[in-house]
Amino acid sequence: MDIYDVLLRDFPFLLKGLGVAIVLLAALLVIGFVLGMAICLLQLYGPKTRFIQWPIVAYERVFRGIPIIIMLFIFYYGVSQFYDISAFGAAVLAMGLRSAAYQSQIFRSAFQSVPSGQMMAARAMGMSKIKAIRHIVFPQALRHAIGPWTNEFSSEIKETSLAYVIGVVELTRQAHYIITSTQGNVLTVFAVVALLYFILNRSGNSLLYAFERKLAVPGFEK
Amino acid sequence: MKQTKTSLLSATFASAMLIGGGLVSSAHAQEVYTVGVEASFPPWAYVEAGDFKGIAIDAMEAIAEERGFEIEFQDMPFPSLIPALASEKIDILATGLTVTEERSQNIDFTIPWWETNDVVLVPEDSELNVFTAVCCGARVGVQGGSSQQAWMEENVVDTGDVDVELAKYDSYVTAVDDMAIGRISSVIVDDTSAQEYINAGKPIKMAGKIFIRAPLALAVPKDDPQGVLGELNQGILAIYESGEWEEIVSSYIPGVTVPTIPGHMPDFVDTYQKPVAGLPELGNE
Repeated sequence: MDIYDVLLRDFPFLLKGLGVAIVLLAALLVIGFVLGMAICLLQLYGPKTRFIQWPIVAYERVFRGIPIIIMLFIFYYGVSQFYDISAFGAAVLAMGLRSAAYQSQIFRSAFQSVPSGQMMAARAMGMSKIKAIRHIVFPQALRHAIGPWTNEFSSEIKETSLAYVIGVVELTRQAHYIITSTQGNVLTVFAVVALLYFILNRSGNSLLYAFERKLAVPGFEK
Repeated sequence: MKQTKTSLLSATFASAMLIGGGLVSSAHAQEVYTVGVEASFPPWAYVEAGDFKGIAIDAMEAIAEERGFEIEFQDMPFPSLIPALASEKIDILATGLTVTEERSQNIDFTIPWWETNDVVLVPEDSELNVFTAVCCGARVGVQGGSSQQAWMEENVVDTGDVDVELAKYDSYVTAVDDMAIGRISSVIVDDTSAQEYINAGKPIKMAGKIFIRAPLALAVPKDDPQGVLGELNQGILAIYESGEWEEIVSSYIPGVTVPTIPGHMPDFVDTYQKPVAGLPELGNE
């Protein structure tokens, strides 16, 4: 049986691995989005007391400063001492919390790119601070964030391949199975896997760019 | 804009529910044991067409059937397996695991079910024998961090009597290929792997054996919290005596001589002291 027959036979398993990677990606991006947005709003508009701001800064520095592979081990083995977490759960948590740190900075720069005069104008018209954020700043900031956010999307896709170190059988691990059971063919198998990652990456980014174009404020399109 | 936000919100909820489902680890029924394997390590464990295969897989299934318990396999890369066992993420470790003193301090071993010895591999057309291959200025290939490297350093290089240089490689496959080019004159590797390379048609032969009698065994977390060590010991002996073990092994490594069970049980392993769990008549005094 040559390697192409094996690849054809095992292609459904590669797709299954790709499916695991996509679910992991979606889950971690959602955690990152919700938590990252909360961190960004607290950093920019929250109470300026050290009690609130220092833990946020510490969180963001720690999660941006530690390699994800170490985080995966810490969450899988460390959390297990208190709660019987699954490998997939640990991967979602570790990568989602880290993505939150990155996304908070993407959102912060997007919010800060909205001219501060707009906030003043909104307040002068009698809007409350929350109303002004919600109706004036937020809609613009979110549009600005889409571009940089495609970067986060692309890099997280590739990082999902690291989850195999704690036993999440995703695309890269499925590829390892084929390579070791056929005793070789590294180049052929990884070429196919690279193509799958590339297709996922391209289609995700195309969607995001289409979204960006659709939401563009009339008169401000690129 | 309003519409966009609503749909984002509902997507968030849907995904949160999805994560919630994923976070809860599947609850262990009392009699289902999670068996950790490194599934890219043929012939012990690997995946072919989506199914787990290999000596450790088949033998583990035979033992479970023999002793009447249920198992599920969990694949993990080799360096993660021992930590996973120590933190009880898996209940049993089944792969080509060598019994060492260091490991025995963190995990408990079953009785040995395999024994490897090292062999000296030389090119097919070489005239060297087991002694001339490892002396007199020879460059000898080993895998970095392997038990073969440790053995060679301790018993040959560090004694200072023999003029030998060790060349350390990332993997044995590259070492064997380098020997074919002529950069090194021999490679020291365990006999099970050596047989694989020879069966794969590489132009090499065994110049001779070094009998180090390294036992391989299954392992459970330290102090056996699940009480499964006795079951495993009895299961290993039972499939050996019924001939099933030899059948499994021969189907993966044709022509291999199957070591007797129980084999050599090193003194430094505390679970090999008398009485051995499940097999009270065995053990070191």
